[in-house]
Amino acid sequence: MRRLLASILALFSGARAEQELDDELRAYLNLAADAHRQQGLSEDAALRQARLSLGSITSVKQAVRDVGWESRIDSLQRDVHFACRSLLRAPAFTTAAVLTLALGIGVNSTIFSLVNALLLRPLPVAAPDRLVSVSTRNAVEHGYLGGWPYSMWDQIRQQEDLFESAVAWTVLPQRLDLSQRGEQQPVDGLFVSGRFFQDLGVRIAAGRAFVPEEDVLGSARSHVAIVSDGFWRRRLGRADVVGTSLMVNRVPVTIIGVAPPDFLGPEVGRTFDVALPVGAAPAVLHSPDWGSFSGPSYLAVMLRLRPGGSSEAVAGALHARQRQLIERSLPPKTFWGPVQDGQLRDPFAVTPAWAGISELRRQYSGSLTLLAAIAAFVLVIACVNVASLLLARTTAQHHEFSVRLALGAPWQRIVQQHFVANLLLAAAGTAMGLGVALWCSRLLVAQLSTWSERVALDVSPDWRFVMFGVAGCVATALLFGTLPAIRAARMPAGEAGRLRSTTSAGRPLRLHKGLVVLQIALSVVLLVTATLLVRSFQELGRVPLGFQSDRVLIATVDGSRAGVGRDARALFWSRLADVVGAVPGVAQAAVSLNTPLNGGITAVSDFTARGGADVPASKRRAIVNVVTPGWFETYATPVRSGRTFDRRDTTGAPAVLIVNDAFARRFFPRGNALGSTIVNATLEGSGWAPPSTVVGIVGDSVSLSLRAEPFPMVYQPIAQFAVPLDIREFSITVRTRGDRPAQLAGAIGAALNAAHPDLSFSFHVLADQVEAARHHEKLVTSLASAFGAVALALALVGIYGVTAYALASRRTELGVRMALGARPRDVIGAVVRDTVVTLAPGVFAGILMAAAASGLLRSELFGIEPLDLVTFSLVPVALTTIALVACYVPARRAASIDPMLSLRCE
Amino acid sequence: MSPANTSGLVQGTLEMLILKTLALEPLHGYGVGVRLEQISKGALQINGGSLFPAFRRLERDGLIKGEWRASENNRRAKFYALTAKGRTRLARETRDWEAQTAAISRILRASLGEP
Repeated sequence: MRRLLASILALFSGARAEQELDDELRAYLNLAADAHRQQGLSEDAALRQARLSLGSITSVKQAVRDVGWESRIDSLQRDVHFACRSLLRAPAFTTAAVLTLALGIGVNSTIFSLVNALLLRPLPVAAPDRLVSVSTRNAVEHGYLGGWPYSMWDQIRQQEDLFESAVAWTVLPQRLDLSQRGEQQPVDGLFVSGRFFQDLGVRIAAGRAFVPEEDVLGSARSHVAIVSDGFWRRRLGRADVVGTSLMVNRVPVTIIGVAPPDFLGPEVGRTFDVALPVGAAPAVLHSPDWGSFSGPSYLAVMLRLRPGGSSEAVAGALHARQRQLIERSLPPKTFWGPVQDGQLRDPFAVTPAWAGISELRRQYSGSLTLLAAIAAFVLVIACVNVASLLLARTTAQHHEFSVRLALGAPWQRIVQQHFVANLLLAAAGTAMGLGVALWCSRLLVAQLSTWSERVALDVSPDWRFVMFGVAGCVATALLFGTLPAIRAARMPAGEAGRLRSTTSAGRPLRLHKGLVVLQIALSVVLLVTATLLVRSFQELGRVPLGFQSDRVLIATVDGSRAGVGRDARALFWSRLADVVGAVPGVAQAAVSLNTPLNGGITAVSDFTARGGADVPASKRRAIVNVVTPGWFETYATPVRSGRTFDRRDTTGAPAVLIVNDAFARRFFPRGNALGSTIVNATLEGSGWAPPSTVVGIVGDSVSLSLRAEPFPMVYQPIAQFAVPLDIREFSITVRTRGDRPAQLAGAIGAALNAAHPDLSFSFHVLADQVEAARHHEKLVTSLASAFGAVALALALVGIYGVTAYALASRRTELGVRMALGARPRDVIGAVVRDTVVTLAPGVFAGILMAAAASGLLRSELFGIEPLDLVTFSLVPVALTTIALVACYVPARRAASIDPMLSLRCE
Repeated sequence: MSPANTSGLVQGTLEMLILKTLALEPLHGYGVGVRLEQISKGALQINGGSLFPAFRRLERDGLIKGEWRASENNRRAKFYALTAKGRTRLARETRDWEAQTAAISRILRASLGEP
């Protein structure tokens, strides 16, 4: 470093140095001429002699200059040539090192490209740093995407003095249907505010953006759509579609534009196929109430600050106006009233939104941190492997270095040469690793989607990805190269004399073994992590579902266009259940509002029990499901006491409910639930939910997630479900006679079509739905296991390598021993003992590290403790066994050599 | 490593010889050349031009330090003196050199077929 500075200074002080050199050379000539004159030469002859002894002045000056700055570049070039030659001369070493590094870097860059896409990449819009999201404090604290009813959005956007522009979009996934009739062709929809694209600065690729006149609730002009680039390529065959018509939820709309390829939507992780103006929502969602006080709407709101504006100032101004805004957007007393009321009174929260907003971010950021840590471990292990390869190589080149040092090569030069070679190796590994990562990250993103949710992330390489690669390259070069380089340079020159010394291998071998200890310790940590995750995943699979998930097909049926009034609702859906139940191959069919683990919205209400325990207000919540008779039989949910629903539980009959064990335990700890009266406190006094009698208690079943404790649940017969909501989507659950429920989809679809031509529906298998509930864990577990396997493989290669190398350098010794009567068994025994001595501290240190670190995993684990005994005993035993096998192979080979042969080689 | 200069010496060796010469007393460029010839009893004919890159290299590495002074016959010349670092280096190089030459002579003898 100092020398580099000196060189730079020399560049500036070049003129002075040049002058000094001139002076010095002149002095030399004068002194030499003086000497020659004293020897009696004439003036001319003396000068000539002096010049002769100095040689060409120009070339001397050049040679001196070369010592400075330019020679550095020159030497660098020579080093690169030298490194290339020496790497190509050892193809096996080079290949092994590059592949190992590519693995390590590939794993890390894959995770990084996900982290980049999810957390670091700004939205592809103009000036993203001026975007802020307006949600609620509660939403920010609990990490969900806050949204506003249309009325509040309408108020916010009128506060034009606070910001440059405001945009809004529907924050909940909008599955739209492109089919003409029958089974749905679902696509992802997005309803956006009028100047959404203009205000964000997204340039429409073909056609035009929406205009405010198209964003008027219920307006005929609102039937326009902008399709995404992906949808345009995939589904529309990249045709000239602007001006053509598209059926969305069986409403014709006109395509007016195609979005640019890089714009996937304002929410990171989610994307859209078809975007429509918010004004089109009532018509397209067949919900005339949508956006009005009595209809549901949930919009994310984003503001663009004025240049120089601060989010704090906007937050302050919004807080000051919140009361006024609430009053203007507060709904009259409707079914949604209490829900919206609570939502509106939650204080505004204004947060930076340069990277968009994302539900996926919250869902995966913890796991990504874990995976990034694991990947870093893999990289360190890979580097350790390359370091031990290099050490072995350095020792082999020992002689060469000693001679060069002795011949005056400065040790810095040797270190420099090493680093150039290491950087070349690292660069090759990085290039390969990045290539692998590009491919793997796309694969991984594709794996993130489930049956109910399509995940899209932009993982295309950007400058951050490249920078990560460069940083990774340099870091790995330093990580694996420092030790061997220093070792090479510190080799005492005098050792050159000891040619092919067999004893000099002792020191590097100790270092070598130290690296293996480190590697084993790291592998233990990774294997413990992976094993904990696998065991926890298995535990998750053992969670009692509370129903039988095999042989069940679910048809989610949208009756929006069937024109069923609220009064006819119960009859209509009960009849559909009968129609489906009559399809050949169907054992039982039942209709319900929700199905277990469906990932969608679930109705909840607060309950109070008459004659039961006094339950604190925060624990009165229960999930409400509305079902037809036969639902419990279809799911094979066990009935604990009482009865299930039947055809007598109709509108006029006494109001009845069925609760699950968890509800009974919480509200009736003394066990008197059956026959008691419970009240839906959320709807109390509305007249829509009278006090009801508990006529049955059923077993607990999972509903929202596998991880959650059994949640109190209340089942209501559909015939008595009176809330004035225009709910038009129900699920028909079908238990089939055959093993392949999906095969019945065609027949059931035909029956539904025959029953009513305007139904649209989609099918999925319950077992898939259950499996999807473990999707996140499955993904994280598979990745962690894959990384663990890579780590294990690398560690084994390391053990194998160090053993083989140690044996090779002890060949003479072994030869002597065997010549003196040692049996092969003794040799193998000695090697195995040696390996155990190396292994034990590694495993021990690894166990300690893993025990210290496993607490961090707690939130990822289910059903097992971080210090799981099975894991912590299984991993060391497995690792030791495999390591012994890895050292046994070279040991056996060493033991089978002919002692005379090895002695003669020396 | 560029192996040679006109004196037929490997680079590192010339530098070591310069260090050795300067260990006795500070000298200017021409003086170093003359002294080397004297010490080697004429066996080493040092090309003056080859000295200066070596001086620069040694100066750069902080092993010697230059200073402008008047010479014995009153000419201004740059005198080089050994630094503390240079002294250590010289001691080490001398040791290494001896080990190395011993090794080389063993190799030469070995390759000539002697035991």
